[in-house]
Amino acid sequence: MTSEIHFENVSVEFSGREVLRDLSLDLDERRIAVIGSNGSGKSTFARMLNGLVTPTRGEVRVHGVDPARQPKEIRRRVGFVFSNPDAQIIMPTVAEDVAFSLRGRGLTRTEVQERVTAALDRFGLGEHADAPAQTLSGGQKQLLALCAVLIREPGLVVADEPTAYLDASNSRRIARFLLDEMPQQLVLVTHDPRLAARCDIAVRFEAGILVDRGDPAAVIARYEEEQL
Amino acid sequence: MYRPGGSVLHRTPAGPKLLTVMALALAISLVPASPWLLAGAIALVIGCYLLTGLGLRELGRQLRDLRWLILVMLVPQALFLSLPTAAVNITRVVVVVLLAALVTLTTRTEDLIDAIAKALGPLRRFGADPDRIALMLSMTITTVPVIAGFAAQVREAQRARGVPVQPLAFVVPLLVMALKHSDDLADALTARGVD
Repeated sequence: MTSEIHFENVSVEFSGREVLRDLSLDLDERRIAVIGSNGSGKSTFARMLNGLVTPTRGEVRVHGVDPARQPKEIRRRVGFVFSNPDAQIIMPTVAEDVAFSLRGRGLTRTEVQERVTAALDRFGLGEHADAPAQTLSGGQKQLLALCAVLIREPGLVVADEPTAYLDASNSRRIARFLLDEMPQQLVLVTHDPRLAARCDIAVRFEAGILVDRGDPAAVIARYEEEQL
Repeated sequence: MYRPGGSVLHRTPAGPKLLTVMALALAISLVPASPWLLAGAIALVIGCYLLTGLGLRELGRQLRDLRWLILVMLVPQALFLSLPTAAVNITRVVVVVLLAALVTLTTRTEDLIDAIAKALGPLRRFGADPDRIALMLSMTITTVPVIAGFAAQVREAQRARGVPVQPLAFVVPLLVMALKHSDDLADALTARGVD
């Protein structure tokens, strides 16, 4: 049986430069941390899970779907949270931005409204429903992004440094939701060892190569030792 | 930007509101100006703002936002036309803009976009995609404050380094930031299932 996340001999090249080399990896854990230095290939790996990056060679399967060949299906199953909250807001107001995620689902206006209201309340954004989304704080914007992703009910959520732009309190809030409350499988790209340590497994990339995987505490310890 | 409320104008569907504003704009622009027409138009604007519950304070805010537009129109007209003619022309434009603002103030963007997409429906036969055009309009509205934020960041960065504000040194980084933002936004759209 194929794993939930399956990479086989996958390489990615941008303008002739190899950014990910011959990656073979199977992951079934619920919370997966992806760590590594800047430019190590971890974001490229994350982006392949949602089909934002297409492999140059090799085979990728995510929840049984080939992201390169079935883009619509993969976006239904995999949600993506980016690091910059500002760049994820598509519609002018908070409620409209969440409702945008439900377009093309064949839902009536009332059904959309009900789901949006319930989702916003869950994230503590209910009172901001009609507010311009750009006036929210950074933490609230990231909560809005999460809300817009989760209302689509994906099986996997990929979060690429979701706390990078946030203060400590908002980082804790987002991390608590992603790591403790969210039932979906999570791939968390992070530079924060405390967040990585709370995952079930950590994988580490360096210079486009998967160099380590296993228990997060052990992977982080080896990484930090090398950094010294 | 939409302000929630329960007035008649809030409850009126977007399509009829847009058509009414278009008809009023045509009437105010094409009917020969007379003091009665302009007084009536101004009274209509004030009445509508009061009717929505947004009040005169919102009207004042909208007028304040229009100050630069008024100035840009006033200077050349005052130079080449008589002052009363310039005042009449500017009043016409301001009244139309204030009426148009009422549509956005009392209509959710989503409803506005749906109405525009529906109105553009016939263009499908010429290969246009009304939904895409409507989405583009909506994203334009969302992006205006973002770009304004970038402009403020560039100005602050220049001030922090003690660099005098020069047009090129301002425009180039702003353009780079805007292009980066458009790339990020394209990724966010793709991730949310819009190709």
